[in-house]
Amino acid sequence: MGSEMTFYENLSQRGVSRRDFLKFCGSTAAVLGLSSTFVPTLASKIAGAAESGLTPAIWLSGGKCTGCLESTLQATYPNVADIVLDLLTLKYSAASMATGKYALDAKKKVYQGNKPFIMIYEGAIMEGENGSGYTMINADGTNSLDDLEAAASSDQCAAIIAMGQCAVDGGWVRAFPNPSGATGMSEYLSRRGIDVPVVNLAGCPASPEELTAVVVQALLLGSDGTLESGIAAVAADLDRLGRPKYLYNATIHDSCPRRGHFENGEFVYRYGSEEEAKNFCVYPMGCKGPQTYRRCPMIRWNDSQSWCVESGGVCIGCATWNWVDNNAPFAGRHRRVGAASSGPLAGWPLHGGGLHPIGTGAALTGVVAAALVAHGLGMKAAKRIGKNATLKTEEMKEYDAKRLKKQGGAN
Amino acid sequence: MATPNITMDPITRIEGQLAVQAVAENGVITDAWAVSKLFRGIEVVLKGRAPEDAFYVTQRMCGVCPTSHGHASSMATEAVDPSFELPNGARIVRNILEGAEWLHSHIFHFYALAALDYVNPAKALQANIADTYALAMEQGIGTADFGAVQARLAKLVEGGDLSIFTNGWWGIDPVANPEEADELYNPDIPAELHLIGVSQYLQGLEMQAVAAQIISIIGGKFPMPMTSVAGGTAWMPRADKLDDCLFRLKEVTAFVDNHMIPFTLAIAPYYLNELTYGQGVKNFLSWGAFDRSTRRIEDRYLPGGFIKAADGLTNVNRPMVEHVTEDVSRSWYDQESGQRFTESETTIVTGSDFSQDLDGQYSWGKAPRYQRDPMEAGPLARVIVAYMDQASASNATVREAVDGALAVLGLDDPTILVSTLGRVAARNIETAVAAKWAAEWVDELVVELRTGRAEFWAPYNSSNGEGTGTWEAPRGGLAHHIKTSNGRITDYQLVTPSTWILSPRSDDGVRGPLEEALVGTPIRDIEKPIEAARVVRSFDP
Repeated sequence: MGSEMTFYENLSQRGVSRRDFLKFCGSTAAVLGLSSTFVPTLASKIAGAAESGLTPAIWLSGGKCTGCLESTLQATYPNVADIVLDLLTLKYSAASMATGKYALDAKKKVYQGNKPFIMIYEGAIMEGENGSGYTMINADGTNSLDDLEAAASSDQCAAIIAMGQCAVDGGWVRAFPNPSGATGMSEYLSRRGIDVPVVNLAGCPASPEELTAVVVQALLLGSDGTLESGIAAVAADLDRLGRPKYLYNATIHDSCPRRGHFENGEFVYRYGSEEEAKNFCVYPMGCKGPQTYRRCPMIRWNDSQSWCVESGGVCIGCATWNWVDNNAPFAGRHRRVGAASSGPLAGWPLHGGGLHPIGTGAALTGVVAAALVAHGLGMKAAKRIGKNATLKTEEMKEYDAKRLKKQGGAN
Repeated sequence: MATPNITMDPITRIEGQLAVQAVAENGVITDAWAVSKLFRGIEVVLKGRAPEDAFYVTQRMCGVCPTSHGHASSMATEAVDPSFELPNGARIVRNILEGAEWLHSHIFHFYALAALDYVNPAKALQANIADTYALAMEQGIGTADFGAVQARLAKLVEGGDLSIFTNGWWGIDPVANPEEADELYNPDIPAELHLIGVSQYLQGLEMQAVAAQIISIIGGKFPMPMTSVAGGTAWMPRADKLDDCLFRLKEVTAFVDNHMIPFTLAIAPYYLNELTYGQGVKNFLSWGAFDRSTRRIEDRYLPGGFIKAADGLTNVNRPMVEHVTEDVSRSWYDQESGQRFTESETTIVTGSDFSQDLDGQYSWGKAPRYQRDPMEAGPLARVIVAYMDQASASNATVREAVDGALAVLGLDDPTILVSTLGRVAARNIETAVAAKWAAEWVDELVVELRTGRAEFWAPYNSSNGEGTGTWEAPRGGLAHHIKTSNGRITDYQLVTPSTWILSPRSDDGVRGPLEEALVGTPIRDIEKPIEAARVVRSFDP
């Protein structure tokens, strides 16, 4: 009990009440898919671990925009999350450390040390031509690939958290024509023959709640409380894309607050419209919610303020594999892939497509319609639009209005 | 060429990946090179895609200022259609969104990235708590629970683990050698002021998140908000959501006015020597930010304008993208050097070993030039332009803010801002001004909504043609240029603040703004060049 007292004292010094802390444990338990009866256990485990030595972590990066680090700084309860991340003592992060060789020394100390550490990696692994690194050439002639290899092949590297879609599969950086030879962590390591557990946190960006959940699981929820058993628990709970199942086991569409409007055939066809003001479903605007597995509608963003669809935007499927190539055009319902035979893009593959739903018509391809059926969703929409049919926006709108009237809906 | 004896690689506590090499002789830097270490390739990835997709993809250029990148991209896409007019409601929403982005970014930069160059957390341990409150009251700085902050610090030190402050002293152990560590700062700074600084550092980490919440309310999430789509905004304001924004805006504004600005003015007198170096190229470019209803760049709240030292610092002219060219002879690119930015095409580099050859190619950054001259972009450029532009409707507001701050320091010449410390000051002054405007924009939006005719999106045709969008990201000027054919992007080019600031040498060997600013910087110890690090971070690179 003594150690818990100290922990809560420490919390209150940071301006965090016991209630805030339990609230945090509650939301973390929810993200982890644990029942609320587990909250007290979680709280005491965190309190205990905070007293009994920290696990070192290093935050490395490749081809990145710093968005995932930014995202992490927007944690729900900054102070509490700070503590949980203090379970990991961040020994190296370019965002907070000194400059030059002092920073490099701090990093080396961790992976040449004698304590197991966790590596958080942000950004794509850019191999360039023939593995030349293509980026981040250090003054001493080494590059970011050397940095990664030295850290990952250290005996003390317990696990790598690939933070965000770029680290998972190369993200937008690897979108066609993949100018920098970008790839994701798992693929790169397996090619290099380095065997370290990798946890993929998908999404552009990944969210602090997702990171916190994995850290808590790895540090605290192992069968015998050790880091090793914790990482084994995380590894046992990954899907085939190496992501924690509890974070990516449902589509955006499954729990979208606008789902009811989808079922009723109440859609938005244009931004700034009456339908948007009523928060109707943005599926015709190109929303990729039905095929994107992530829990944004539940976890939400920035201390639970909002999320993409709630703000009136569409889901662009940023947590899907090779998301830019597979989901563009973001404003359209389908992909068109071909090659231009003439004009300024002659010989250049036309990836994505160029249709905007306004004025040019929106269509559902058989593939998307079939996907919807396969998910057991949107039967009505599929039937309504039909296989391979192309309807003009105005026709779709008219159809929906009629159908709504028939059902005795609003308006 | 003298061999560099200072290597800062990597430069940490910045957004991107940067290295600096410099030559110091007799304690002063005589030459410097800025090495941008990251290839992006976003321009190549966009080719062949739908014009409106650029809004989503270009946000991923920068995780700190995605709002501004997406916005500039939508402006470029809209500009392809000469008949398009942005609805007034969307204009105001975009202003609020950008205002929040600036507050977030400036607070994040000043505290999380720059403050530890000026504030010594180890010395804060020696502060007397009662004296700290007295000092805060005397300086008009808002107070916090200073005792708790000190106890937290003490705990870190006791535990032998300085957490986020680890390695902040350039290899010196601040516990074993406190005096040596303190020499990196100005040893005259009282421990109490350092404690106030550490306390604000922690508050700043929370406030940047509160500012980001405003972006999230409007744009769904931060980073990567979804709202400023081509044609207007996806978000449609509701009274309760506007309340949420305003509440947070007031909280952040109070922090800026009562904590950040008074602290800046209290610590500045200890670093006045930094007014004497780091001037840089003394050419300034601002595309202007925050549209008024005319949507002309000269009418923007912070007006678009450029100033060249050779013509005198008071002479403001309107910038045009046609005058922007990019030299690439010192960059790892294969294209023709000196092309107009709107005409150039990014070519994927081949066959280089990408080593830092300071006599030859040494950077992934291109060297953008305005009428052949390197230009500084960023808060200092915007503040100087607005201060000197007497035709601007914001001129009086900016003058008042700048003159007021200078008066506190006993200074009167605004051109003193053209320096390392001045650059930091200009950013903080701009933060306070933008915070005030953002609250006005919320009111403006309420009035617009009350007309009952507020519009937030209008159709446009971006299928064929070209267009430019210029705006200011928090760290400096942004220009996006799009060319389309049959509804596809045939070419996409952007010039970012980092490209301007971190520019390598041009074809004729003229240094970029950061390189030039480093020349003349006094260095006490080439193993611990904190003075140079301050110059670098003053740009928010």
